[in-house]
Amino acid sequence: MTLLDWAILVLRVALPALILPAIVIPLVWYERRMAAFIQDRPGPNRVGPFGLLQSPADVLKLFMKEGVVPASTDKFLFHLAPGLAIFAAIATFAVIPYGGTLSIGGRSIPLVGADVSIGVLYVFAITSLSVYAIVLAGWSSNNKFSLMGGIRSSAQLISYELAMTTAAAGVILSASSFRLTEIVSAQQGTWLGLIPRWNLIPQFIGFLVFFISTFAETNRLPFDLPEAEAELVAGYHTEYSAMFFGSFFLAEYLNVMVVCAMTATLYLGGWSLPGFDPHGVVGVLLSVVVFAVKTGILVSVFVWVRWTLPRFRYDQLMSLGWKVFLPLALVNLFWAAALEMWKAAR
Amino acid sequence: MDRLVFDAAAAIAVLFAALMVLHRNPIKSVLALVVSFFFLAVCYVLLSAPFLAAIQVIVYAGAILVLFLFVLMLLNIPQEISQQEQRPIQQLLGGAAILLFAVLLISLLSARGATRVSSAGAPKLAADQIAPLARLVFSEYLLSFEALSVLLLAALVGAFVLVEREKRP
Repeated sequence: MTLLDWAILVLRVALPALILPAIVIPLVWYERRMAAFIQDRPGPNRVGPFGLLQSPADVLKLFMKEGVVPASTDKFLFHLAPGLAIFAAIATFAVIPYGGTLSIGGRSIPLVGADVSIGVLYVFAITSLSVYAIVLAGWSSNNKFSLMGGIRSSAQLISYELAMTTAAAGVILSASSFRLTEIVSAQQGTWLGLIPRWNLIPQFIGFLVFFISTFAETNRLPFDLPEAEAELVAGYHTEYSAMFFGSFFLAEYLNVMVVCAMTATLYLGGWSLPGFDPHGVVGVLLSVVVFAVKTGILVSVFVWVRWTLPRFRYDQLMSLGWKVFLPLALVNLFWAAALEMWKAAR
Repeated sequence: MDRLVFDAAAAIAVLFAALMVLHRNPIKSVLALVVSFFFLAVCYVLLSAPFLAAIQVIVYAGAILVLFLFVLMLLNIPQEISQQEQRPIQQLLGGAAILLFAVLLISLLSARGATRVSSAGAPKLAADQIAPLARLVFSEYLLSFEALSVLLLAALVGAFVLVEREKRP
């Protein structure tokens, strides 16, 4: 490998890892404006045009504040947990294809961090590790509210991961590959020249189960039991302040973007659009835009749901996960298998 | 390069496995085991078995150890352990186990040149193909696979029976 190849590889991996946290700042502003719109109030509109500089100001404040570490905490784990949360969120994005294949000067550069053969499984492996960030934060704080938040989250994440993985198994079956780039290319083209071949349509149940489970996986309303402020002060990050808290905040928004990107890849055809064949630099950049728009729409749904639905009760959350979503995901899996059998028999 | 990463990952895995055994705080033990499993998965990747690596992380680190942690946090064991005094019998048994392990390790290392496990007989699996693995599990090793799942089921039922018995007065 020449130096240029190495540089391209580093850029492929590093660009999304650097851009994602930067997007969080306008995303927070977007969420607050959207919340204000839903609740019929102005929202942040004083700092900068349309209040756009409110989020950068908040980030600056978080950095300047003193990080208070309570005396009775487990110092090492207390500091490890926020870093782990961010690591899990960014590392997941490494395998998600965010654009077509760029061809410059005889080189073809697939726009994906690492096109590994176990793409989907890698994503689930990393998300299953992300639970440790919350659990460790809850335990190391040595605070009963934090501990309750941590315990709740571990139960919740395990429960919903089952439904989520089973739903995704349907997609794996229809693409007959774990590789995310192949899952994207399996969804190109149309049925009857009109309907896009997205997994969303034949596996609508799977899409619903997967997408709703991602709300639980990211601890967002209506499933934000680990930080239910009415019961648990702030849940697992009660004892965190300044940028330690900011890290959890950042990780939450990163996770929202990552799961939306994942949903777009698995069910909405990723960066592809029917009748759109990315050629040249402009075409490939357009494919990145397509991917960003799909992800953006899903993120908007996240914000919309957050300010629309009330929080679930804990027993409702558990019975929904185990008694509704898991059977539905299994039904979807059988349906996907039946579809594959039918396709093979034809 | 690969060899270097493999050796480092293997060393870290063994180191954290030892830490798991030696640490007095059960929660720290579980965390050490998580790190150990994670680096074991790194070893799997370098042995061109990425599927096994992913399953290792998802099942062990992501699910089973989270449940361990869950139970440990609920029970809050650390306080109980500190009240106990030294346990001489356990220490003796532990020492014997370490001695046995050392003897086995030394005998294995000394016999390494002569009876090295040949990889020629084992079925070759392509680097990133899961279908051959699945075929082997569901044909040649089907019996042991099913026996294992029955064993796990039996353990599950056993746990329920034990809990049930304790409830009765």
